[in-house]
Amino acid sequence: MADFVGTLAVLLLLITSLYVLVNQDWRWAVAALGLQYVWAFVLLLQAWPAELAVVKLVTGWIAASVLGLTRLNLPQLTTPEGNVPSGRVFRLLAAGLVILMVLGAAPRLTEWSRAFGIYQAWGGLLLLGMGLMQLALRNGFFRTALGLLTLFSGFEILYAVVEGSTLVTGLLTAVNLGIALVCAYLLTAPTLETEE
Amino acid sequence: MSSAFLWILLPIAVGAALLLYRRKDDTPLYLAIGLSFILTWIAWQFPIDVVLQLGSISIEIAPTLTFLGRNFTLAETQRLLLTFIYLAQTLWLLGAFLTRPGQLFPGLSLIAVGLFMAALAVQPFLYAALFLAAAFLVWVPLLVPPGTQPGRGMQRALIFLLFSVPCILFTGWLLTGVEGNPGNFELVLRAGLLMALGFSFLLALFPFHSWVPMLAQETAPYVLGFLTFFLRAVALIFLLSFVERYVWLRDNPAIFQLLLAMGSLGVFLGGVWASQQRHLGRMMAFAGMLATGGLLQAIGLGGAVGLQTFFALLLPQAWVLWALAASLAVLHRHTPSLQLEELGPALRRHPLLALTAVAALVALAGLPLLGPFAAHLAIWHGVGQQSVGLLILSFLGSLGLLAGGLRLLHAWLTAAPEPRAPVGPVERLPFSQRPDMANPYVWVFSLIWLVTLLGYGLLPSFLAPVQRLVLMFPQVFQ
Repeated sequence: MADFVGTLAVLLLLITSLYVLVNQDWRWAVAALGLQYVWAFVLLLQAWPAELAVVKLVTGWIAASVLGLTRLNLPQLTTPEGNVPSGRVFRLLAAGLVILMVLGAAPRLTEWSRAFGIYQAWGGLLLLGMGLMQLALRNGFFRTALGLLTLFSGFEILYAVVEGSTLVTGLLTAVNLGIALVCAYLLTAPTLETEE
Repeated sequence: MSSAFLWILLPIAVGAALLLYRRKDDTPLYLAIGLSFILTWIAWQFPIDVVLQLGSISIEIAPTLTFLGRNFTLAETQRLLLTFIYLAQTLWLLGAFLTRPGQLFPGLSLIAVGLFMAALAVQPFLYAALFLAAAFLVWVPLLVPPGTQPGRGMQRALIFLLFSVPCILFTGWLLTGVEGNPGNFELVLRAGLLMALGFSFLLALFPFHSWVPMLAQETAPYVLGFLTFFLRAVALIFLLSFVERYVWLRDNPAIFQLLLAMGSLGVFLGGVWASQQRHLGRMMAFAGMLATGGLLQAIGLGGAVGLQTFFALLLPQAWVLWALAASLAVLHRHTPSLQLEELGPALRRHPLLALTAVAALVALAGLPLLGPFAAHLAIWHGVGQQSVGLLILSFLGSLGLLAGGLRLLHAWLTAAPEPRAPVGPVERLPFSQRPDMANPYVWVFSLIWLVTLLGYGLLPSFLAPVQRLVLMFPQVFQ
């Protein structure tokens, strides 16, 4: 049963993170990010009690909501990369590279330290890689926020195995919310009233 | 009352309260200066963990505060560092009278300094990376004020600084494994690489430095100067905590050689790039890179000498970077850009600040008779004993920054005279609009700064008591 849940969570993480990376529509990207936190929560449950793991889920949803609401109030922008099919193909190929690396690295990580389960290793490394790709291949603060939040999700899945301190959980929550709030501020800063 | 309450929670709470103040006057600035000054004075005068009898009242500042199961400790050995950090904070706040960095500056600077102190106090110390990231995130509204378009420098800063968090947190976990199994070369290598990567992101070392000059073109120099100075100072003390805590790091000469090499590279590249800049903000960014490189070199010297040199350099650097950022910030307010070609009229109108900026640049380069020279001399001596190649790199870097300073001097001396503005007598202008010669605040700032810089350069033993800062790291000091 645990294997089935673990495999399913990793597969769904793959689909949502791939969608966030490739998709152009910000609404679907935010929805996929929210879903991504659900599957990350499932993997976190393998290391943490539910009451602690749920903090990550709620934080992720708040962060996704902040970004979604901010983007909703901004004018629709058409970016040059918008509907270029080659861009999507390139991102898909880059994602394929990440998947290959994760397939190779995850078993080695579990061999190297028995603390990690294979599903946590797959899920954590996958999100780290997809987050990095998002940061490297996409422009703008909205996409930067998505990339950073994805990257931190992956990191937190792995770090949960080695650290279960309440303070660290709280601080990582603050950093995640901080990323969402700061990026929301940076998206809206040009439209805000000047100080003087 | 605990030290963490006094020097962490109180400034954060007051800073947050000051953000709610909506009137456009200087009240938050006065309050923040008052609090910073009081906290500096308490840190200077009141011992920690000692019961003081004031009449019928007994006061004790406890060193530890427990929060969410973890300790925040500011012990007696750190009292001098507390004094130094809050004194620096007071200076940056005083400089805000000249530079006017924005209404949010007093409140956010108190919150940021509280978070920096939390980074130094938290146990286990590895969690410091999270507080440093939080301090940076708090600072963003000042880097990109409302109504301005954030640029690529901001985006890169966000990514690079936050990358340091996972790297450093994982390093801590790996280092615990290394402690139990120091013979495992693979583990040591991975921990070392991850640590180098984490601190390279945090300290903006080559090749992860690009966000600093990019951001310097996009934002006010004073705001960026505050962030980079405190972030680097606290991150380097955090790095020293790593060395202090882990025996295998302390006993491994390769770690110190690596620090020395990275520091020398930073000095070389910072100086050479500074000499090529025509934008003063970018020049300041590369001067900061050189300054960080110098501090890394000092740590890389290792042992008691390295630690003493580190603190002997950190203090005058703080003084110099503050003045450089303040001078550029005032110039920035009176000119659309800090490009040397466009700065001429502003430099002619503000000769004292131009002189201060030139002196700051050449002082950072290690020019004799100026503040940081004594520490630079000790570094050059130590580096020369270990590697002539690295010494040459250091000299080239210093020469580069010196050339940058001379380039500014040339731009100032050859600038065309300012066209006369059709305004009345300067005495009727507000202080922020007056030229330097008619502005008593600028006179006081420049004179005190220059005299102190020269005084410390001529009498470096003046700050000898500050060497007690090394007692924070007794293992490294041995």
